[in-house]
Amino acid sequence: MKYTHLKKLRDKYAIVGVGYTPQGKVPGRSALSFYVEAGINAIKDAGLKKEDIDGLICYRQFPAISNEPEATPYLVAQLLGIEPTVLSQESYCPRHHFVQAVSLLEAGFCNYVLIIYADNALSGRRMFIEEATHPEPKNDNYMYGEFGFVGDYALAARRAMFEFETGPNTWKEIAVSQRKWANLNPNATMYNKPLTYEDYLNSEYLIEPFRKLDASLISDGGRACIVTSVERAKDLKNPVVSIMGIGEANPSIDIHQATYITGPTGAKKASQMAFEMADITLNDIDACEIYDCFTYTVEITMQDYGFFKPGEGKDFFKDGFTAPGGKLPVNTSGGLLSEAYFMGLTPITEAVMQLMGRAEKRQLGVAIGNKKPEIILCSDNGGVLQTHATIILRRL
Amino acid sequence: MNTFLPTPTADTKFFWEATQNKELKFQKCRNCGHVRWPASIACPECHSFDFEYVISKGIGKIYSFVVYNVAFHEAFKQNLPYVVAIIELEEGPHILSNVITNNPAELRCEMPVKIIWESYENYNIPKFKPFEN
Ligand SMILES: [Zn+2]
Repeated sequence: MKYTHLKKLRDKYAIVGVGYTPQGKVPGRSALSFYVEAGINAIKDAGLKKEDIDGLICYRQFPAISNEPEATPYLVAQLLGIEPTVLSQESYCPRHHFVQAVSLLEAGFCNYVLIIYADNALSGRRMFIEEATHPEPKNDNYMYGEFGFVGDYALAARRAMFEFETGPNTWKEIAVSQRKWANLNPNATMYNKPLTYEDYLNSEYLIEPFRKLDASLISDGGRACIVTSVERAKDLKNPVVSIMGIGEANPSIDIHQATYITGPTGAKKASQMAFEMADITLNDIDACEIYDCFTYTVEITMQDYGFFKPGEGKDFFKDGFTAPGGKLPVNTSGGLLSEAYFMGLTPITEAVMQLMGRAEKRQLGVAIGNKKPEIILCSDNGGVLQTHATIILRRL
Repeated sequence: MNTFLPTPTADTKFFWEATQNKELKFQKCRNCGHVRWPASIACPECHSFDFEYVISKGIGKIYSFVVYNVAFHEAFKQNLPYVVAIIELEEGPHILSNVITNNPAELRCEMPVKIIWESYENYNIPKFKPFEN
């Protein structure tokens, strides 16, 4: 019980507004245009004025595509017409955004913190997943033909296949269940595109052991949300969704040297922190929104969270246990695999919408055959499993 | 198979200079004995700045590996499919490399491998192939 001192923060801060944009393939738009639209929509959704925003935290931005200006936090603030007291943008993906927001609010430096990510990655042909022209090599990894996220996560997944029973038969369950959720979400890129086990198994390997269906989408669009105190949230228009628990961990070691890639990853320590703060157990969780850059990421995260023992994911995910109508819904928007890629904001904002009761056709509840959710467990990770954040959200 | 040359930095210059003599050279902490990679000014275990160089025997095991079936850069198209692997050297360090094989399906984690040198312009590139004791 190392983190019990965090209990004083339980249910003290809330997420009060979510900003969406058109998403998927949206040609003819700059990354900045999605930042601005997501930001404005989050402010409107919370019922705030732009003058209220005194903290702005941007997710990591990859280098600008073509001749666009870099989406710096300065430019995002300028185009939103705000002058935040605290302004930041992370590099290289350490997932500190919500811990930072809560800390700024708790210390009193800020009252309303806007968190945003946006990109025009699909129309701009960003290259982490697709076969594509990669920029000229910059380091010795390229010399061996190692080109980043897909290969690196596949190295982790392969080692996991050696250490415990996992592989395509586990990952197909994750991909298929999330696609079922996407088929309830008209905003999802993979809406109306059903996926069967056969489709999955018959598809070619991209970087073995991963197929393209194991990998996140690349998306145009943006997503934003606003964090403030529960006290202030009570005076705003949306139902109050509180941060019940939050934790973070950064094992940091590069995939090519790391031995934590098969668990325990940072998910274990981050979740211990979040669960001690929330003072609940896994049995209290009604649904999960798990950062799913790859199918394996969902498996190792939930394994480290303690939902099942190493290698038991194959049984855990089968028979639609995490699909619509299943006992434990996971990634109810379709997630990064089947909805859209907005880093950790895809899972976290989906949890907020579900808890607010605004998830329309995919809303958890009797219509779907699930419990109306009170507590949702979310994760965000970055690098190649080098950083992890756990956030437990609750409808107050 | 190589298309790209090494990119020595201030920290890795010694490593690439040693490969010209087909030596796989690492820094070993004189205080705690930890053999480190990536190269660094200090030992990440004990923060000692004092080190000596050791030459690896070039023998190790496949810690993990993947098979590229698509080329993320045009230059690798003629190499497909190719194997990228993390090699766990006997001396301790994990290094990224390629395993050269005609049959990627035979590979498995923990399989013994030994170094082979591929010469390319002024460099020798350390790669690995399976071998049975
Ligand atoms: Zn040392």
